[in-house]
Amino acid sequence: MAINVNTVYTTVLAVLNKEQRGYLTPYEFNSLAVQVQLEIFEKYFEDLNVMLRNPSNNTEYADRVKTLEEKINTFETSAAVTVTLSGEFGQYNFSAQSPAVHRFGMLEYTNGSLLPVEVEKVPKHEFLLTRRSQLTAPTQDYPICYIEGTTINILPGIASVASVNGSPAQVYNLEYVKKPADPSWAFTVGTVGQYLYDSGNSVNFEISDLDQSELILKILAYAGVVVRDPEVTQAAAGAAAQIEQSQIS
Amino acid sequence: MSKTVATIPIKENDSQYYAGQYGPLQNTSGVNQTVFSFPDLNTTLISNYDDLGTSTQVRSTGNFTAHLLATATTLPSTSNQIPVGNIIVTNTTNNTIQLKNIQGSAIPNNQFIFLQLTDVAIGENYGSYSVLSLNDIINNFIVAYTGQDKILTRIKRADVLFHARRAIQEFSYDTIPSTKSMETTVPNTLNVPLPKDYVNYIRLSWADVDGVLRTIYPLSGLSGNPTEIPVVDANGVPTQDAFGSNLESSGSIIEQRWDTANQNTLSGNYDPYNNNGVYDHVWWKQAYGQRYGLEPELAQSNGYFSVNERLGTFSFSGNVANKIIMISYISDGLSYDLDSIVPKMLEEAMYSKIMSNIITPRNDVDGNTKAFYKRDAYVKTRNAKIRLSNLKLGEIVQIFRGQAKWIKR
Repeated sequence: MAINVNTVYTTVLAVLNKEQRGYLTPYEFNSLAVQVQLEIFEKYFEDLNVMLRNPSNNTEYADRVKTLEEKINTFETSAAVTVTLSGEFGQYNFSAQSPAVHRFGMLEYTNGSLLPVEVEKVPKHEFLLTRRSQLTAPTQDYPICYIEGTTINILPGIASVASVNGSPAQVYNLEYVKKPADPSWAFTVGTVGQYLYDSGNSVNFEISDLDQSELILKILAYAGVVVRDPEVTQAAAGAAAQIEQSQIS
Repeated sequence: MSKTVATIPIKENDSQYYAGQYGPLQNTSGVNQTVFSFPDLNTTLISNYDDLGTSTQVRSTGNFTAHLLATATTLPSTSNQIPVGNIIVTNTTNNTIQLKNIQGSAIPNNQFIFLQLTDVAIGENYGSYSVLSLNDIINNFIVAYTGQDKILTRIKRADVLFHARRAIQEFSYDTIPSTKSMETTVPNTLNVPLPKDYVNYIRLSWADVDGVLRTIYPLSGLSGNPTEIPVVDANGVPTQDAFGSNLESSGSIIEQRWDTANQNTLSGNYDPYNNNGVYDHVWWKQAYGQRYGLEPELAQSNGYFSVNERLGTFSFSGNVANKIIMISYISDGLSYDLDSIVPKMLEEAMYSKIMSNIITPRNDVDGNTKAFYKRDAYVKTRNAKIRLSNLKLGEIVQIFRGQAKWIKR
């Protein structure tokens, strides 16, 4: 579930304004919000890597792997893509994919009414090696691909085709992780020049609300730098570190 | 021959399985219908034509006929059969066919289409539940044996494909019973080409007038088929042509002599006109029927064969000429399709074999684990061999009844 951007901004302001320490403008807040959301988002993948190596449990709410996977699932998306033939390869360029591809997940290929099969992504070197063996050479049942820049090269080269008169449709589906949308605290200017929250034009944080405390503390740590108050930075960074520690220990 | 694989659970109904019939399916679209699917069949439909426009036949192995029925109770017959040139298969994944949009082929509204498989296709589908496809084995293995929290956490699919296909090759050689055999006639040249997917032979035999198979024995060094027969000069040095290559003789003298050899001189068979060392009663009454120097191994009259590497053929001895022979042989299971069939009796052994072969070269698996899986694969392969040997108690009991027969000495 998303985190309301106004809740975060008002909380940050409440902490900063205590004892008249300083003020964080919406422009400054929005820049810090983008930065911190990305930091927390990227940490999901690193944390998952660590958690997968630890003994797991089977509880409903305390399984860290499950929790992290749920956090990441929010950003998993898929889209039907059109593969075209280029020489012997099927090719798809995902540079214009919307929402943009942040982490490539999997390319699925479906031949007519058969069950979809994964187009296994391998490094280019392995791609070449795999082709050399007659026993492992890519087939329609077991296609492979490698990525060069933003282009996926697929073998065997089969282009996307719609079904005509019952002929098998050739369909590709790209599964990937998108980047969270940039949060934004939008405002209008009030009668006395004050900033008024504009919920209609604001963008909430997309990361899990389980990370709300960490999000606020990290923004506060950066805010301390902005308002030149090391005490705030120190206290917020300490608290954020404590949360992180408890999450991975 | 291309055996089919049944689904789990079985999708085909009784008439689809036993009679190879599908339908009648009614056209309720309101207009002429030209596209129909028959997804429940195990058999992949094959049409003799690939293009309705060109009317050029591309194969003769079509495996079905389609009929246009006016009512659901109309019997399919040649009179209502849709011409094979007016049907193409457009989708082999769910057996979709397309009919030519002309009268007598396209199905009018409220009328019916009925599909009948050929006898060969029906036969290939019988027993389809006893096997599964190699792709099923590979997919099952990936699902059940690889991934997070499994011993094979991270594995390339190419590794699984390689070892699965190698496993089916190995099992084809000594565990899966040979199902490949070919009936043919030995020509006067005494050479029969090796089958297209030949890997090794099981048995070659000729059929007598009662259809009883008589084993033809391998040559075992008695004669031979040279792989090279250079033309030599008076000093025994091979001669060359204008391009510097050795001149090769058109035929082997050894083979010519063997082809015309008198088999009785080897087998010791009595011939009143050529006694070949057998003492007959005319001259040696005291030693009638005896033959000194007889090799029991050679005392047979069924003939000999050898694998002639030079010609790529089975070469036979002269006494097998013009006989009907059966060649039983093994292939490696991958000759026509990488997605070959695997007996269900072998399924568990396949998983263990793939597992063992995959972890053996890995450096992240300890030696004890490797040894465990190697043993596991060995045990399961042995079990599979016993299962596939098809030893049935009742049959063994019948064979044991032979113990009551007195052997005359």
